[in-house]
Amino acid sequence: MAVQLDDAVGKSAPRIGKGGAPPARSGSGSRRIARGAPYLLLLPAVAATAVFLGWPMVRNILLSFQNLNMKELIQHLTEWRGIGNYQEVLGSEQFWRVTLRTIVFTAVNVTLIMLFGVLIGLLLARLGKKMRLTLSVALVLAWAMPVIAATTVFQWLFDSRYGVVNWVLDKLGWHSMAGYDWVGTQLSTFFVITVLIVWQSLPFVALNLYAATTTIPKELYEAARMDGAGTWKVFTSVTFPFLKPFFLATTFLEVIWVFKAFPQIFAINQGGPDRLTETLPVYAFTEGVGNLHFGMGAAISLLTIVVLLAMTAYYLRLTLKQEEDEL
Amino acid sequence: MKRSLAGRIWPNATAVVLAIGFVFPVYWMFNTAFKPTQDIVTEEPVWFPFHGTFEHFVTAVHAPNFWTLAGNSVLVTVLAVGLSLLIALCGSFAIARMRFKGRKSFLLTFMVAQMAPWEVMVISIYMIVRDADMLNSLVPLTFFYMLMVLPFTLLTLRGYVAAVPKELEESAMVDGCSRRQAFVKVVFPLLAPGLMATSLFGFITAWNEFPLVLVLNKEPAQGTLPLWLSQFQSQFGDDWGATMAAASIFAIPILVLFLFLQRKAVGGLTSGAVKG
Amino acid sequence: MKRGLITATAVAGMLVSVAACGSSDTKKASADGFKGQKLTVWVMSGSNPEQWTKQVSEQFTKKTGATVDFKVQQWNGIQQKLSTALSEDTPPDIVEIGNTQTASYAKAGALADLGDLKKEIGGDWNDAFNKAAMADGKQYALPWYAGNRVVMYNKKIWAEAGLKDTPKTRTELFKAFDTIKQKTDAEPLYLPGQNWYFFDGLTIGTGADLVKKDGDKWVSNLGDPKVSKAMDIYKQYQAFSTAPKNKDEATPQQAEVFAKGKTGAVIAMGYEAKTAIAANPKIKDDIGFFTIPGESADKPEGVFLGGSNFAVAGMGKKQDLAKEFLKIALSKENDGQMVKEVGWTPKSPDLAAAAKENPAAEAAAPAAAKSGGTTPLIPQWAAVENVPNPIKNYMTAVLNGKAPADAAKDIESEINSRLAKQ
Repeated sequence: MAVQLDDAVGKSAPRIGKGGAPPARSGSGSRRIARGAPYLLLLPAVAATAVFLGWPMVRNILLSFQNLNMKELIQHLTEWRGIGNYQEVLGSEQFWRVTLRTIVFTAVNVTLIMLFGVLIGLLLARLGKKMRLTLSVALVLAWAMPVIAATTVFQWLFDSRYGVVNWVLDKLGWHSMAGYDWVGTQLSTFFVITVLIVWQSLPFVALNLYAATTTIPKELYEAARMDGAGTWKVFTSVTFPFLKPFFLATTFLEVIWVFKAFPQIFAINQGGPDRLTETLPVYAFTEGVGNLHFGMGAAISLLTIVVLLAMTAYYLRLTLKQEEDEL
Repeated sequence: MKRSLAGRIWPNATAVVLAIGFVFPVYWMFNTAFKPTQDIVTEEPVWFPFHGTFEHFVTAVHAPNFWTLAGNSVLVTVLAVGLSLLIALCGSFAIARMRFKGRKSFLLTFMVAQMAPWEVMVISIYMIVRDADMLNSLVPLTFFYMLMVLPFTLLTLRGYVAAVPKELEESAMVDGCSRRQAFVKVVFPLLAPGLMATSLFGFITAWNEFPLVLVLNKEPAQGTLPLWLSQFQSQFGDDWGATMAAASIFAIPILVLFLFLQRKAVGGLTSGAVKG
Repeated sequence: MKRGLITATAVAGMLVSVAACGSSDTKKASADGFKGQKLTVWVMSGSNPEQWTKQVSEQFTKKTGATVDFKVQQWNGIQQKLSTALSEDTPPDIVEIGNTQTASYAKAGALADLGDLKKEIGGDWNDAFNKAAMADGKQYALPWYAGNRVVMYNKKIWAEAGLKDTPKTRTELFKAFDTIKQKTDAEPLYLPGQNWYFFDGLTIGTGADLVKKDGDKWVSNLGDPKVSKAMDIYKQYQAFSTAPKNKDEATPQQAEVFAKGKTGAVIAMGYEAKTAIAANPKIKDDIGFFTIPGESADKPEGVFLGGSNFAVAGMGKKQDLAKEFLKIALSKENDGQMVKEVGWTPKSPDLAAAAKENPAAEAAAPAAAKSGGTTPLIPQWAAVENVPNPIKNYMTAVLNGKAPADAAKDIESEINSRLAKQ
């Protein structure tokens, strides 16, 4: 949660506060540390990752070349299929449609989350002490709500007959919404899912952005105001440049989280109606685990990673480049 | 510098509306949990549980194995988060503070590890655990949960470690501390808020996990709370009251933890940042 | 999907062996050294009624000296749970499986052959009954319970319309609906456009097959005139209802609509009465049931028989004990208990007495005995019914005016591609 914040602090603070003295310089101060130290420190993390993620991942890759259905699972059979699973997936129109849908879905959600998250964060900075505390507590409550509990409540809120949402819309004069079936069409189902995801994700962005703005030296603001800059100008000339690393890191995380959103989509309508709200992870799950074509599911899940890598490539490259500059 | 009346009102008005919007689903969960069944399924929503009842909570808590599952959930979550913090702290220190060959590859590995498709990998994990004869045990579950949160924890802590002024550590070393002592005495206390903040993510992830425990631990006594939470929805129509009561019970520990840790975390963070 | 699992099961046939569990072999079995063993039985949440469970456990312990551990399974994720559990070294000894699932689990080699047991306790079960527990001509499961749809009607509304007798033919039924429409302000029938299992019953009534063989492959047979005829009957029914054409009977729960007291009738499972009463306790005394009438008075409408089988895990270590359990669990007495306690359709004429105590079961019995059927009993069929079920789209399309043959053509490729995957 505070990564972004720290990224912002860790990277921008030296640049501005310390006249650009990179932390790396201090590497020279650690001559007493043996060469192996960093590797030793990283060993537990790397070993754990290799065993508990790498091994299943290798297994998953192997599965993606197998014909593994219920029969093979139950009888412990291994049946190789070459690249058949990939051919089938890549050759199906559905995969490409789902991929496109996932990209659009991720883009829309991340945009909404970043936009409103920033607005709420800036609002927090403007509020009085009491009001800020009230809103912060509200945000924290929404944030802390476990995903399973949240999806359950949202199903209940948007229930077609006894849901509060329809009742309110009806009372507000929109009578055709009484009894409206929110999960009846693709668009309305996506609407519910988006509300849920945005509601869950905003607090993270808003609270961290607020915390990050408090690290911006007051003088910068004053100087900008002195120059007669309006709210928007202050944001673009001071806040945004100062917090750019924060924005990048947060967007990166939100892209991953929204892209991978599974329980939200699955619980609201299992990817329905007519499989029209399936995103890649849901598609992989339905084909693989749901329909018991595990090999196929594994192949889709690996293609999913490729898509996600492509979507985040910019940030990954940028980060690696920055690291180069720093050390 | 004085703002107009309207200029002072709208931020507060917006804040009130937003606060209501964010709290409402949480409120509605508790409200539904406390309402008698005939007040839940109504044409007119019942906004306040005036005829409050604990019957749904009784139903939820009296479901078989509730206390065992709750114990398992706490145990697995705490261990998974604790272990990942420990392992990540070591790793993040190396990545944030040291120069060595392959550093960037490590960094990249952890960034990509965040993208792991756990829901689908459930089946390969299952086969590994089955073949190792470790089904129905909390041990594999703990380790896999640990790994679900490890990459994020490590990358986040890297930021915190980087934010601790290098000079503090160096001056401690000048004073005769070893690097390890300098870390324990100077850096670690400064990292405490970061550790707390980071642990929140871990808690919520491990606490919520469902697909893996579903297939790994089929012995009822070896399950975790998400399994319990799903049982009030049945094929003959869902018991909303019990579901909401169960969801409330499920959410409370995390809500309390967040409210408690969040203040410290953000507070600690900003104070740390000023020093930067 | 949850509902799919329970109803997507097909059991046909009505007889339970009288020799099911003679007291003569009681002593023999207990000498077998089962004492102290524990048998694990997976049942789905909501399947095993209290009294049945109690008496089966007691009888089992008395006879074998072993104990039975019923593990109630939740619907959420059951497929993953079951398929993985059956691959383990120590799987549950006995599992409850819905019937369309039975064939695919059997083909996957997960279930033990129960041919001998069938001969012993179910020698005179009729074929239709047994078919859904078989695959490739072998007995892989034994039918536990089954139910079929009946007309659940509101006695008050029918009385208000001046209707005294329950209809015996489809024509009489439609006439009764007409009368209700004219004489009362109630909706004569609530039938949404996608009550797929009612439609499946109608296809059984017209003798239609939903799939046919094309070489060695199964393909869609929805274009068949007999299917069109069944769909036409459905359309006639649906014309009496203002229910949405693109919804199934669970959204909203039709029993809850019925509970409001403004609906003349619904095509429902017997247990749906409970849902209605829970939603509105006052409706209790107004609920009545009768058999869905067919074209002529002597043969009721075709019905889909939905239910569950018991199967023995192929990797199970206690298969003999499991068979002992099945002899008891499926005894005439305990089968009768399922009928009495839940309202499942009686499996044999012997159980008529038990059905007398449950009006829904009594109304369901004639149709099940004379015109009960299933969905196609091929392992690939389950995939067709997976959400989203293309046949439901077919139904909506026809109800909205499309010619049945054209609507069938539209979904043919989707069905065929699902049938092609194993």
